[in-house]
Amino acid sequence: MMSEAVAQPARRLRRQNFAQRLFAEYGQELVVLAAIAVLFVVVTLVNPRFVNPNNLVTIFSGNAYIAVAAIGMAMVIMTGNIDVSVGALIGVLATIAGTLAVSGYPIWVALVAPMFVGMAINAVIGVLVAYARIPAIVVTLGALSILRGGLISVTGGTWITDLPPDFLIAQKRFLSVPVPLLFMIVLTVLAFLWMRYTAFGRSIYAIGGNREAAVATGIPVERRLVTVFAIHGAFAGIAAILFATQLQVIQSTVPPNLELTIITATVIGGVSILGGSGTVIGSTLATILFATIGSALIFVNVSAYWLRAVIGLLILATVLADMWRRHGRNGAAA
Amino acid sequence: MGRTLVSALLVLSLSTSLSQAQSTWTGGDDLPTSPLACDGTPAEAAAQPYDGGEPKNAPDRKGKEITVVDVPKLVGIGYFNATSKGIAEAAEAIGNMDAKTDGPSRANIDDQITLIDNYITSGVDGILFAANDPVAISPVLKKALDQGILVVGYDANSQPDARQWFVNQAEFNGIAKTMIDSMAAEIGEDGSFAIVTSTFSTPNQARWIAEMEAYQAKCHPNMEWLETVEAQEDNILSFNQANTLINKYGDDLDGIFGMTSVATPAAADAVTQAGECGNVAVVGLATPNAMKPYVAAECVKSVVLWNPVDLGYAAAHVLRAAADGDLKPGDTSVEAGRLGELQVINGSEILLGAPFVFTKDNIGNFDF
Repeated sequence: MMSEAVAQPARRLRRQNFAQRLFAEYGQELVVLAAIAVLFVVVTLVNPRFVNPNNLVTIFSGNAYIAVAAIGMAMVIMTGNIDVSVGALIGVLATIAGTLAVSGYPIWVALVAPMFVGMAINAVIGVLVAYARIPAIVVTLGALSILRGGLISVTGGTWITDLPPDFLIAQKRFLSVPVPLLFMIVLTVLAFLWMRYTAFGRSIYAIGGNREAAVATGIPVERRLVTVFAIHGAFAGIAAILFATQLQVIQSTVPPNLELTIITATVIGGVSILGGSGTVIGSTLATILFATIGSALIFVNVSAYWLRAVIGLLILATVLADMWRRHGRNGAAA
Repeated sequence: MGRTLVSALLVLSLSTSLSQAQSTWTGGDDLPTSPLACDGTPAEAAAQPYDGGEPKNAPDRKGKEITVVDVPKLVGIGYFNATSKGIAEAAEAIGNMDAKTDGPSRANIDDQITLIDNYITSGVDGILFAANDPVAISPVLKKALDQGILVVGYDANSQPDARQWFVNQAEFNGIAKTMIDSMAAEIGEDGSFAIVTSTFSTPNQARWIAEMEAYQAKCHPNMEWLETVEAQEDNILSFNQANTLINKYGDDLDGIFGMTSVATPAAADAVTQAGECGNVAVVGLATPNAMKPYVAAECVKSVVLWNPVDLGYAAAHVLRAAADGDLKPGDTSVEAGRLGELQVINGSEILLGAPFVFTKDNIGNFDF
């Protein structure tokens, strides 16, 4: 029964041409990409300034820190887990980076410390999820309160100012490409390749797709889960750096609902909320789609209320599409 | 098919959006506005009956030495350090008044109530407060009034009958006037501006914007109001939105208003990073510390708020005037030292006066 279900689509795939295979495998990513393209065409027709180089930079690098955080989130969700504490974690890590930078530590220490602290914190979350078998939503809700409360009581609501100019890497360009954009593209591609072509990467899908089967094939599921959470923490650390260095001051609060924005991006990008499928290319494209919609609404003079409505519709449609695809697959197998 | 659905929805929602493109949203609310006079003449105070409380069987304190405790929302932060500095300054100037500040170490209403209760027991002549919660603090303040203690609030009010007077740091129309006047001074009478706010439904911001709209139409009719964009309380989104405004309008954009302490520095950073300092002015509500880098770089010239030192200074003067019987229910103004005559508004509130504009010359004196 099981082997049939797996074998069936594979047999079908062989008969399909390249375009069909591409669509079967990366359907959601292509839909998001198409949506971005349609928006660009329509809005540019309304107002050609939409595609002026400065606005392209605003669109493509404005949400880069969300995209980077969504890479780690995508991995966690693919294993069938979730993390609702990442927004607060990014706030804490940004504050740590800023505090180190203004207290005279070398800049590189301030820039890499968030990655390691993020890994350490999320490794603890991973241990609680994997070994203590507490549902991820419960553990990370707890972590959310702890991190958010800790952030407020430690900073007392004050902002970090007087950041050294060398620390503000998100404002810099490398070979005329804005650094946040560079980070987003390079990390997305690397993570995509790693997940697709390495044994560890593929085991992430296996764990989320069918945990028992993953155990049966000898994947050390618990250890892998802890590692995936730790990697997610490292991405949160990089996201925190991009967040902290974009402006000359670091706020002691994080954008409201940042974790939801990150989760939404992964889901709209095609990562199944039930685990087991999706790519980080999709989540990155989804963050670009959000930025495109946000900018488009201003360029065509529409209230930002629409942004939320549109994103809400997108979530619903994506989840429905995901369920419909699963249903179709199961139907074919039966 | 599911995917087709998604694309269909996107295109659909976009086309609906386009059909609405004509109606520009200012972000103001629909409540009635009361723009101030263009030349700054104080608005005629509508005669409103006194609605504050009164201390019971208060002893005659006229000209006598009084001890006062100041209980802010919390201590140890720059803002309330500044208000207690103002209170201390006033106490020294007044002479026959001994004031000290003692507040909770975190902005917690239970801690604040306990603290006030202890001071009632130990016996003071007056209490100054900035409430962590307007309703929850009221019973303990009424208890103080019942025991003949003078009670005056500042910064954050209680229920009116739980204190005698409240020093109101700024009214919506006052902030609106200062914002628009500052912008007009920077970009000229025919300049055009856009606004970055938190959300259109945030009450304070919507009120300020509505008053700004009314005042601009009345006193600077040739300024052009481009549009208002939302940015939550999100600094990166504020930055992106300000960038998008700069990208969209190019040379047609002369100024950006920031309506929150998050949006204003982010807008200033967008202008800085776009190399538009000097071409696009930023005027906004913000706390001075967050704005110092931009003001020092001369990218931002006017940061609008109120002066917390003056706020504490006024509160102490109001309490002394109430003790001396110089400020009684029904009075329309009160003398407040170097601040001059302050107006009584809304029955039992004292208006601090025009908002304070932080500039390159004075912003270094503030730390909050």
